[in-house]
Amino acid sequence: MNQVSPLQEKTQAADRLLLRITKQFAKGKNGAAGFCLDISSAAEAGITIVFGRSGAGKSTLLDCISGLLPPDSGRVALRSEAEETVFFDSEKGMNIIPAQRGIGYVFQNLALFPHLTVNANVEYGLAHLDREQRRQRRVEILQLFHCDSLGERKPDEISGGERQRIALARTLVTEPRVLLLDEPLSALDVGTKLKILEDLQAWNELRRIPILYVTHSPAEAMRLGENVIYLENGRVLAQGKPEEVLRNLSSFD
Amino acid sequence: MNWQAIILTLRLAVTVSAVLVIIGLPLAYWIAFSRRRWKFLVESLVAMPLVLPPTVLGFYFLLLLGRGGMVGAWLNRIFGVTLPFSFAGLVVASVLYSLPFAVQPLVAGFASVDRKLIAASALLGATRLRTFLRVILPLSLTHLITAVVLSFAHTLGEFGVVLMVGGNIPGVTRTISIAIYDNVQALDYANANQNALFLLIFSFVILSLVYALNRRAFFVGTVP
Repeated sequence: MNQVSPLQEKTQAADRLLLRITKQFAKGKNGAAGFCLDISSAAEAGITIVFGRSGAGKSTLLDCISGLLPPDSGRVALRSEAEETVFFDSEKGMNIIPAQRGIGYVFQNLALFPHLTVNANVEYGLAHLDREQRRQRRVEILQLFHCDSLGERKPDEISGGERQRIALARTLVTEPRVLLLDEPLSALDVGTKLKILEDLQAWNELRRIPILYVTHSPAEAMRLGENVIYLENGRVLAQGKPEEVLRNLSSFD
Repeated sequence: MNWQAIILTLRLAVTVSAVLVIIGLPLAYWIAFSRRRWKFLVESLVAMPLVLPPTVLGFYFLLLLGRGGMVGAWLNRIFGVTLPFSFAGLVVASVLYSLPFAVQPLVAGFASVDRKLIAASALLGATRLRTFLRVILPLSLTHLITAVVLSFAHTLGEFGVVLMVGGNIPGVTRTISIAIYDNVQALDYANANQNALFLLIFSFVILSLVYALNRRAFFVGTVP
């Protein structure tokens, strides 16, 4: 079945994403060095910036959390006050498929379906609802992201900023329990980027879900994050408040 | 003009194309997305009719599916069906013979779909079937059309397999290519010319339609 996580009545039920992941990549054929992701960390509700140079393992980390890439070992779980949802546990042989994790993931290239209209894109993840419910949820989210006029257009007929908003709306409308953002705003100018981020923060005021936001821009890390995880060579080098992490960072360089 | 043969040929081509779509879609999906190590063996098998002469295919078909063959004897005993020299047998043999013409365009189409779109669909809760029907197939539409038309056209023009497996029974297995061969053997050049010209023009019209359709589909996909 097309079961996305059920809409949860959350007030301040702050969830915590627990991560323990190792993933080894063999040496490349052309003598490229092998790579090992070895993470043990947690992300609180709110925006956590995953920060690091390209090749540090940021996208690999998100792929492992979402289930697109199975870790070699470890455990990925979401803990709320009352219960714990396990997505992956190598010791118990558990690996929930991506479609059933209820994790939202917006790729860097957005991956909007090019043959579907904006409306159909946004409603794609709502197949478990009836037509009227789908319409209602779609209208709500498009209003929130200031895109209610785009409905019947295709992704290649709208602007870059609008595409980013639609990609976010398409994921958020499913009410994910965790949100992963892989530099989805990297191609935008600062003004547009900030406006979209304000909308995202407004959305998360109510939900308080863990959001992992990948970036390699220190400015973004400073501005957005309530928390920063600094990755290098597949390991967490530092984690904490943005100011602290970035201050310590200068000593690494 | 030999209308009986023409209608029989069209019936054969339509049936074979339909069967090939039904078999070809799952087979092409598997080839495009499976990570099995021995996948190359299946790919080679599917491509065999491209290099083998139809006589080889027809020969083994008769050996296997003939009344004395392993599969043929069983079919005859259980269902009372005899495939050689029947329309059904012609369909089975033609499906095998045209398999690569259906499967290869589909594989190319499926493989060209951005993997991120497939991942996005899964992350939005879609099952594999839904992802296939709503994302992969619509984005491979031009390849599907190409597959259907190539299967159709290839079946329209086949000769060797039909001769080996179907023989030359008017109204049952005498396709237009066989009829032309008969005409020429009988030095009936007038009729041979009529039938051949029909096949020539018909094939050209069909292929033109496809290429025109593909061109339009491209524009619909890229230009607002």
